[in-house]
Amino acid sequence: MGLNTEVETLKKVPLFKGIEAAKLKLLAFISDRLFFTQGEHLCDQGETGDAAYIILDGTADVLVDTPDGPVKVADFTVNDIVGEIAILCDVPRTATIVAATDLEALAISKDNFLKLLREFPDVSLEVMRELGQRLDRMNKELTLLKS
Amino acid sequence: MEKSLFQFVWRYSRTQQIILFLITLLSFPILYYTLELPKLIVNDAISGKNFPRSLLGAEWGQIDYLLLLCFSFLGLVVINNAVKYVLNVYRGLVGERMLRRLRYDLYKRVLLFRLPRFRKMSSGEIIPMITSEVEPLGGFIGDAVALPAFQGGQLLVYLVFIFVQDPLLGVAAITFYPVQGYIIPKLQKRVNMLNKERVRNVRRISDRIGESVQGITEIHANDTAQWHLAELTDRLHANFTIRFAVFRRKFMIKFINNFINQLTPFFFYSIGGYLVIKGDVSFGALVAVLAAYKDLAGPWKELLGYYQNQADVRIKYEAIVENFDIPDLYPDTRISTEPTEDLLSAMAGQMKLDHVTYVGDSAGQELSAITLSIDPGETVALVGGDGSGRTELAAMLAGLLSPKSGRLTVGGKNLEEMPESVIGQKVAYIGPSPQIFSGTIRSNLRYSIRNRPISTPEALDDLADRMREAELTGNTPYVIEAIWENYQAAGVATPEELDTRAVELLNHVGLGDDIYQMGLRSRFPENLDEKTQNAILMARNKLFDDVQANRNLSSKIAFWIRDAFNPTATLAENLLFATSADRHTEVGMLSENDHVRAFLNQSGCRKLFVEIGIAVADAIIELFSDIDGDSAILESLDLMTATELVEYRNLVAKAHSQGAEALERWETRRFIALAFRLSPARHRLGVLSDERAAQIVSLREAFRRSLSEEDRKDFAFFDRDAVHPYFSISENLVFGLPRADRRGSQEAVARLVSDISEEVGLTAYIMQAGLDFDVGVMGSVLSVGQRRKIALVRALLKQPTILIADDLLQGTSEDQVTHALVEQAMANKTVIWGVNRPDLAPNCDKLHIMQSGRIVQSGAPQDILETV
Repeated sequence: MGLNTEVETLKKVPLFKGIEAAKLKLLAFISDRLFFTQGEHLCDQGETGDAAYIILDGTADVLVDTPDGPVKVADFTVNDIVGEIAILCDVPRTATIVAATDLEALAISKDNFLKLLREFPDVSLEVMRELGQRLDRMNKELTLLKS
Repeated sequence: MEKSLFQFVWRYSRTQQIILFLITLLSFPILYYTLELPKLIVNDAISGKNFPRSLLGAEWGQIDYLLLLCFSFLGLVVINNAVKYVLNVYRGLVGERMLRRLRYDLYKRVLLFRLPRFRKMSSGEIIPMITSEVEPLGGFIGDAVALPAFQGGQLLVYLVFIFVQDPLLGVAAITFYPVQGYIIPKLQKRVNMLNKERVRNVRRISDRIGESVQGITEIHANDTAQWHLAELTDRLHANFTIRFAVFRRKFMIKFINNFINQLTPFFFYSIGGYLVIKGDVSFGALVAVLAAYKDLAGPWKELLGYYQNQADVRIKYEAIVENFDIPDLYPDTRISTEPTEDLLSAMAGQMKLDHVTYVGDSAGQELSAITLSIDPGETVALVGGDGSGRTELAAMLAGLLSPKSGRLTVGGKNLEEMPESVIGQKVAYIGPSPQIFSGTIRSNLRYSIRNRPISTPEALDDLADRMREAELTGNTPYVIEAIWENYQAAGVATPEELDTRAVELLNHVGLGDDIYQMGLRSRFPENLDEKTQNAILMARNKLFDDVQANRNLSSKIAFWIRDAFNPTATLAENLLFATSADRHTEVGMLSENDHVRAFLNQSGCRKLFVEIGIAVADAIIELFSDIDGDSAILESLDLMTATELVEYRNLVAKAHSQGAEALERWETRRFIALAFRLSPARHRLGVLSDERAAQIVSLREAFRRSLSEEDRKDFAFFDRDAVHPYFSISENLVFGLPRADRRGSQEAVARLVSDISEEVGLTAYIMQAGLDFDVGVMGSVLSVGQRRKIALVRALLKQPTILIADDLLQGTSEDQVTHALVEQAMANKTVIWGVNRPDLAPNCDKLHIMQSGRIVQSGAPQDILETV
């Protein structure tokens, strides 16, 4: 349950994949390991996000409000990262995340993440590279869809 | 006030001074005989003949006669000193009483200053004048008459005695007096001038210091400490120069005196010796003269000292009084007159300004020819920006500024001549920056109804003494221990009702929740009554049971359970299951506690904590290996500071290279301190295995048992069945910590506490505790908004007929609440708003638009708003 297992999980998150282990350990250390009981909300649609969650154990449902009530659109499980956009910029949550089972997650708060980026420019570069690749992929998918 | 010190002394201590003078007179014959007797002893008893002698109806041999005279001398010495003792004590008493009167008078004058005066005089100047500067006056006043009379008289007695022995010796003794009499006043005059300058300089120093204390935020924010230090250095240098010049002259005076005093014996030996040899003067007489002259030096020195002191003190008195004896003081009657029905009812009448003008000290503080009337029950707004005269007019309507010309009447009576007892009861004024006094919120709220004591306390042992002394010194007969709250004025009968009313108003202004939170965060009083204790414990157990039934909630709180490890708490709390009884001791410091250290040694668990400490240090050092001293991440960590990181790096290096056994005692203590601060759930360093946690829990009972009954008082144990004295009310209700590893646990706990206290009826108690919240020096702990709200509640609590609120409505979201509350509390009473813009004061009967000290437009809001 120590930092090392959390680091192993972080390594599997695409956004952090280029970051060296020592920095990931620091990131894990300054994050909070949170426990959620089944049915508890990790975040609510519409509220301003201030943390990203990485699921360490358990599964979560993604619900989106519709005129007929919340509808499940996806689910998250171990090693998935939830709401990572929130730690990069101020945007309202686009969905409600509910713990489908008892769940453990690592919460990376925006403040702490930005502190890490400020302190280690090479970490910022890695994150930027990953975001760039993501953008590239999305562009390609868009072109495919259009054609 | 009396212009000169002597007028003051004469006016208030005439009788005492005369008594002092009479006691002094009594001492002179005694003194004369203490001089005469030694002569008799030498001439008559030692070298006398014709013994035995008959005296007092008995026959006396030479030895007996000598002893008789010697014991008579001893008796006289005793009586002489007894008289001196009585004189000194009485002198001190007179001085102290006069000093008390003087300070009281000066302070009272400060209370009578008109407001503009305080723009020119700061508290930094006023305070030393009333406190330290008058101090020497007290000592002097006791001496004023008695000392010159006593010392002068003594001098005279000695001189007369010397002259009686031989006129020539007498002349020799006084030859140099005229010389001294000429030179010394000249030197003294210069000293006086310098002293006056010194007093002014010292006053400026205290003013500067006062300013720095108040403006400390600005100093830190602007890095101006060096500038302030340089400024003070300059003042201190001036002080040094003056003082140096003063004591050079003082010692010159002393030098001249001493020299002349020692020159005179030269004449005694030469002239006196010659006369004794010739047989014109007896040897005994010369001895007595020499003795008398030696004593002469004392009174002469005292007299000179008195003369110097007198000059110094006179200057001081004048320098002080000129600051308080100013022409535009309010008359004494303004604060001392009791309210009459006639005047009180006049305050319910129409307010009328007739060509009122006012001139302040700077631009934008004037009013020119304001003619205006406000009917009782009307709500009006004075509308105008800064410099429009709005603030001045509002203050004037509250009786705080006096018109330069024109008349301001209320119910036909001139407001200027109205005593404060009437204005204060009927008018409530809330200025742009209301003053909050040091103390509790409750005492700040009650401030508005503390006009006169409504009872005299009987339980005070020294009340009669205090009353007599107060009367003798012209002080107020009111005692502070009396009940001052005029419940009637607030429309209630008991203090409890008053609190209820206050809480009601606080809720209305939206401060209720703040007060409630303050209450939750506050600690219990030491003598908490049993009923509340039981209620707390009941609520605590109920909360525990409720929470246990709900898994979602129960996992949000880490309760204090005797045989369970609490991962959110620190290891120190987990081991001791207590906090230090001294609530200023932080957790890491507990490792330095003697009892804790003894326990760690004797129980053999010292090694365990050193190991944990080393492991923690290892982990942190590894995590921060790439980080320089100034890391934002490191700063947010509460285990180690950047400086400590360096220190622990060295310690860990030593521990690894030489083994933990090689560590010095103090080095292991550093590791224990680190281990004590560790909270496993928050720090997640993985250094605490379940076995170690279990081991720590198993030591709890042993620690408790290791303490004697007496030593247990140094700790506050976590006991489910007792209120913890250093926990806040909230912590006591929860009896656990919001878990660090749960989202929203803080909020959940806050809600739980709030619900449970409502349920068991503790809310009122918590509000009361909130009222006891200490607001810090002049309310420094409160926000500006909170201060304004407290000022509003304070104003409404006394149920005024006229409410004047300047700049209270500022266009914030809270205005509506304020408005609604005032409308309700001041129904059918006069309300005067001072606002920046017309739209800030809706629902007014009338608006008066002000510009450059004039009312440029008046009328109903709808008419005015249309034209604007």
